[in-house]
Amino acid sequence: MSDIPHQNLAVIGHVDHGKSTMVGRLLFETGSVPEHVIEQYREEAEEKGKGGFEFAYVMDNLAEERERGVTIDIAHQEFDTEEYNFTIVDCPGHRDFVKNMITGASQADNAVLVVAADDGVQPQTQEHVFLARTLGIDELIVAVNKMDLVDYDESKYKTVVEEVKQLLQQVRFNVDDAEFIPTSAFEGDNVSEDSENTPWYDGPSLLDALNNLPEPQPPTDAPLRLPIQDVYTISGIGTVPVGRVETGILNTGENVSFQPSDVSGEVKTVEMHHEEVPKAEPGDNVGFNVRGVGKDDIRRGDVCGPAEEPPTVAETFQAQVVVMQHPSVITAGYTPVFHAHTAQVACTIESIDKKIDPSSGEVAEENPDFIQSGDAAVVTVRPQKPLSIESSNEIPELGSFAIRDMGQTVAAGKVLSVNER
Amino acid sequence: MGKVAAKMKVMPQSPEIDLDDLQERLENALPEGAKISRVDREDVAFGLIALFPTVIIPDEAGGTETIEDAFSGVDGVESVGVDEVGRI
Repeated sequence: MSDIPHQNLAVIGHVDHGKSTMVGRLLFETGSVPEHVIEQYREEAEEKGKGGFEFAYVMDNLAEERERGVTIDIAHQEFDTEEYNFTIVDCPGHRDFVKNMITGASQADNAVLVVAADDGVQPQTQEHVFLARTLGIDELIVAVNKMDLVDYDESKYKTVVEEVKQLLQQVRFNVDDAEFIPTSAFEGDNVSEDSENTPWYDGPSLLDALNNLPEPQPPTDAPLRLPIQDVYTISGIGTVPVGRVETGILNTGENVSFQPSDVSGEVKTVEMHHEEVPKAEPGDNVGFNVRGVGKDDIRRGDVCGPAEEPPTVAETFQAQVVVMQHPSVITAGYTPVFHAHTAQVACTIESIDKKIDPSSGEVAEENPDFIQSGDAAVVTVRPQKPLSIESSNEIPELGSFAIRDMGQTVAAGKVLSVNER
Repeated sequence: MGKVAAKMKVMPQSPEIDLDDLQERLENALPEGAKISRVDREDVAFGLIALFPTVIIPDEAGGTETIEDAFSGVDGVESVGVDEVGRI
């Protein structure tokens, strides 16, 4: 592991716009494709009397290799630049994976949006941009890809840039901060070096833009929030809750509170990788033992926090949601299951307060009767069982959720404010 | 649409559960169309060890719910979560 800071990078956009090729190209340009994969190709090429280097072939071999499970981290890939060690995730296209992006272990710090120059903004581009916003991604690098297919035409590039800018404004991304780069992942234009094919472009290459990203700050300043995954009784130890620290620091000797179960006690010991540690930080998977807390006192879905700054329990909360797929319409009274951190709680959408116009980002309708697929809205939600959740303005790590019903992810959203119980 | 790798996190019911046997039961419980490409283990705390099977599923299959449900029903499993997902 290198000493340089780490970034989690999501690659988002329509599945046919060259996301995987872009990931492969980044790995290739940063020397992160395993040597034997390249060697294997060279040998085969020489046998067949072909010269040169076919990038596409390396891509295929890489995918095959990963599928066989040779690589440790199959879901994510890694590469180093001068400034950062990047973990990169190529986001799946299917909407049902959205739940995993929200409740998964590593939330993305920043994102690269890939939009094909010959296809422009597509519904999936829109959906991914909205989700990036919901997931708390601030910085977006936009790769206008497949420039080779439009003969590196500047006017074509500008048209797509304008389309994307409009989309970003809708979801209140700061357009001035977003970097736009004309690329061809397949040919390698403007990925690591400035391309001769785009003399009209004088901005940074994709790798330069990645190096210029601000360094992510681990959420250690926020109060402790540790969603409980499981609760065990370990002989000789007692009750052991297990989970991952999302924000803040878990210290031994500290008084902690579990919400919504509403019990508290003093942390006696914390273990990580079977070793006792004095404290645990964001991202750490730990088991710990709390004086005076029994196995039946707490459960999965509880959140552990400092006793003097306990996790918030919602009577109701207001949230911004985007409806991704729903066979009919959503009206007040609808009660699907909300997935937030380790909790799964049925919640009633008590009122639909505002519908947001996707073309302007403005309020399109106050108190609409219904919302449907593709709509963004502000809603008031009442959990049917006690639920600990936080405003995404205060603790974004505990402020987003996926809504599931009928075996699919119907919507995703973030909490705007909590009316405490 | 390609394939998706989902790194699942399976917690056993207690430190006494035989993880080799549990791993085999997970393999047998896989829904059709899915396959396990590797299984990693990680020491958690107080003798508890988490299993991390990486499951390959087609992107169009849509989500990890069927895998989660299948693994949750396996004897000796305390909980099932999804650590990471990404296209391969």
